[in-house]
Amino acid sequence: MLKLIGAMLVVGAAALIGFTMALHYRRRPQQIRQLMHALQRLETEIAYGLTPLPEAFQSIARQIADPLAALFRRAAERLLAADGAPTRDIWSETVNEVWKRTSLGAPEREAVLQLGGVLGLSDRDDQIKHLRLAVGQLAAEEEQSREEHRRYGKMWKSLGVLIGALIVILMY
Amino acid sequence: MLCSLAPILPHSLKKLLLTLPEDVQADLEEIRIREERPLEIGFGGAGFAFVTPQGDLAADAGQAYRPGREECRSLLELLTNHSVYTFEEELRRGYITIAGGHRVGLAGRTVLEQGGVKLIRDVGSFNIRLARELPGAARPVLPHLLDPAARSVHHTLIIAPPQAGKTTLLRDLVRLISRGEWPGQQAAGRASGFGGAEAGGAGASGGRAWSAMGGNAEAKAAGGEGGARYAGRISGLGGAAAHEGRSGAWSAGGPNGFGGEAARAPDWPARKVAVVDERSELAACVKGVPRFDLGPRTDVMDGCPKAEGMMMMIRSLSPDVLAVDEIGRREDAAAVQEAAHAGIRVIATAHGADAADVSRRPALRELLDEALFARIVVLERRREGRAPLRICDSAGRTLYAAEAPAAAGRGG
Repeated sequence: MLKLIGAMLVVGAAALIGFTMALHYRRRPQQIRQLMHALQRLETEIAYGLTPLPEAFQSIARQIADPLAALFRRAAERLLAADGAPTRDIWSETVNEVWKRTSLGAPEREAVLQLGGVLGLSDRDDQIKHLRLAVGQLAAEEEQSREEHRRYGKMWKSLGVLIGALIVILMY
Repeated sequence: MLCSLAPILPHSLKKLLLTLPEDVQADLEEIRIREERPLEIGFGGAGFAFVTPQGDLAADAGQAYRPGREECRSLLELLTNHSVYTFEEELRRGYITIAGGHRVGLAGRTVLEQGGVKLIRDVGSFNIRLARELPGAARPVLPHLLDPAARSVHHTLIIAPPQAGKTTLLRDLVRLISRGEWPGQQAAGRASGFGGAEAGGAGASGGRAWSAMGGNAEAKAAGGEGGARYAGRISGLGGAAAHEGRSGAWSAGGPNGFGGEAARAPDWPARKVAVVDERSELAACVKGVPRFDLGPRTDVMDGCPKAEGMMMMIRSLSPDVLAVDEIGRREDAAAVQEAAHAGIRVIATAHGADAADVSRRPALRELLDEALFARIVVLERRREGRAPLRICDSAGRTLYAAEAPAAAGRGG
């Protein structure tokens, strides 16, 4: 009896791991898309609204969902603190903090971190160019992550249960 | 002085500047930050020195601290609120005005567009000029500029070399006129504050009534004539004021003993002042709002070419007094004439050593020949904290000469 309960727990845990992995694969393209939208909004704020960066971040944070909203909200808070820290440091710190809570991968982070070195530091045309470049990079990543989702998403779901079953069989 | 700069200075520079000797910090006029080049400060008039990494002053540039690329970048970031793109216009003009009225002059690599400067891209030099307000700098001058017939000021030209305190003087004149703090006014106000309604000044000058009950309910008549008639309506609060106001001439003697004292000071209404501030020096506007206190009845046209700005303000803002800094071009002179003949009093400044010096400039000679300016104030360069001052009338007769306390701060 005890054995049976143990076996069920093992299978359940393995399945849960599998599902979580699959969820990550599903969320990644969604979050990349969100991030692209956010950057496009930022472009609009800069190009047409001439909104200062902290305010632009705040308005974006209101318009998108967590966990990405936290990225912009926290960055805005730190920028407004005006304690002498440069934008690049504030941005990379915030990105690294928030990234753990998202399903986003390393290539996206790289693209976004690069943005930190130029955000707010040049004229409008230049800002627009850099933002478009980042959005372009993200678009490529999105395509790839969709492909991965198709390929590995289902696999992880079944793989979890199967590995659980394997362990149970071996130990039984 | 430095604390007002704290939000815009990067950590390292802030720390370094805070180690400077106290008296130097208090007297700081300029901080010159050049990328990869010695850090320099200007203080106390004409003094300048380099700053060593330990926070000492040095005459030798070799020992000086050299701000790096990162520091300059973060300085620019902090100056522009992390958003350089919102300051394109300022980058085109070459300076940024920041909160507190300080101005930061910029130099670096420019980007051209159709032959004109579009903006400065790689900023390599920053010159932070600390602004200092000197409320009261114009108090000794204003009594000599009054025109009792118009109950306002004469057309006035302020002549001075750079850094003599021209702009500071003009700013304070604007403030006093806009507040209606005509010389002696304050004493009168305090006396009448005790209560008892009185319309200061007998008959002709009765323009102001102090409420007995409200204490601070102040009726200010727009014009001199018929001032008493309006006083009651405007005050609203104090019934007593309305009553006394209506019988203006009678109340001048006053039911109390203070009336007589008030009558001595010119009790004229505050004037609407229009300021054309082409270089954002007078008002130090940030987003159109003056950072300096220019009085409650002042409108500022910021960053506007002087001649055009003057015409715009004459047409649309019905000023009583028009203040403008550094006239010199032909268009400026034409606009000044236009304003003067539209019944507006003009206060202007010009670079120069004295009236003769200024009259060598063709546009200004016309104005001087016409004797348009009834008062000419000549400031000389500050010496040992004193700014020699002379006030002449249009014919060049000296009316007043004094050693006024230095109008320190940013020269024009």
